[in-house]
Amino acid sequence: MEMDIESQLKLQAFLDGELPESDTREVANWVARDKEATALLGELRNTRQALAGAEGVMTLPESREFFWSKVRRDIERQEPRPVAEARKPSLLVQWRRLLVSAGAAAGVILVALLAVGPLGAGPSESESSMADPGAFTYRDYKAQATLVWLSYPAEKEIADGDAADILQ
Amino acid sequence: MRFKLFLATLLTWAGVAGVMALAAEPGKGRPLKFEIQLLWGTNDPESPDPKHKPVDAEVAKKLKQLPLKWSHYFVVNKKSLQTTAGAETKEALSEKCAIEVKDLGKSLFEITLIGKGEKVVKRTQSLPVGEIVVIGGNAPGETSWLVVIKRTE
Repeated sequence: MEMDIESQLKLQAFLDGELPESDTREVANWVARDKEATALLGELRNTRQALAGAEGVMTLPESREFFWSKVRRDIERQEPRPVAEARKPSLLVQWRRLLVSAGAAAGVILVALLAVGPLGAGPSESESSMADPGAFTYRDYKAQATLVWLSYPAEKEIADGDAADILQ
Repeated sequence: MRFKLFLATLLTWAGVAGVMALAAEPGKGRPLKFEIQLLWGTNDPESPDPKHKPVDAEVAKKLKQLPLKWSHYFVVNKKSLQTTAGAETKEALSEKCAIEVKDLGKSLFEITLIGKGEKVVKRTQSLPVGEIVVIGGNAPGETSWLVVIKRTE
């Protein structure tokens, strides 16, 4: 009598240790009683051993170092490069950047100049009386008038009797 | 976009250059005009010299606001003086009296009174249009002489 598929699969599962404990005992008893089952189990076991021993070692067509160097090159090719090394800006671009920075600085200077006013301190208001140490100055900002009053030469010339023609 | 930025930078620099030029020498090339007068101050309502005319009302008003004791001022001589930025100009008001005006820039002027050929007093001050500088002294008979420098332009 030929063994059905289900029984054959059960034997395969038994061999692989995939059956529950109760089934394992039942199959073990069955194998012990049935010669056909014993023969099939023996054949399956031999086949498995043959397959396990037949897994050959895979060998690379190139050396180990060369293989891994190719892997490393592939990884490096796929990684993005740093921006700074990517492209050096041209002289015109660098010049333009400098000019823009300088323009910003010029804007600041322009604002400062407009806010502060004319450059430099320049000459300031002063007075020097060369011949009259007794001179005095009065300035009325409201009237927009400045008075410089001299005691010399008029009074001196009056004393010397030389003032008659002082105005003419 | 970049061209606009470039243009804006150039315009900014041009603005800076313009402001610096104006700040360095504002009003360069424009004529600077002055009116100089030799006055006689007295308390008499009329001058003994019929050629003397009363000073104009504007100057008379300014003189009244100064600490001067005279009530009437007569014009002995009147001249116009014109100079340019940075220049020095001299104008005689009488045989013995002259005025020298030098532009120092930025509305500052050096005004020098010359008497009998010698520099008597030199004053440096700002002188906006309409403002006056009066240089004076006592004269015989409790009168006075005054030189009025007024910037007109």
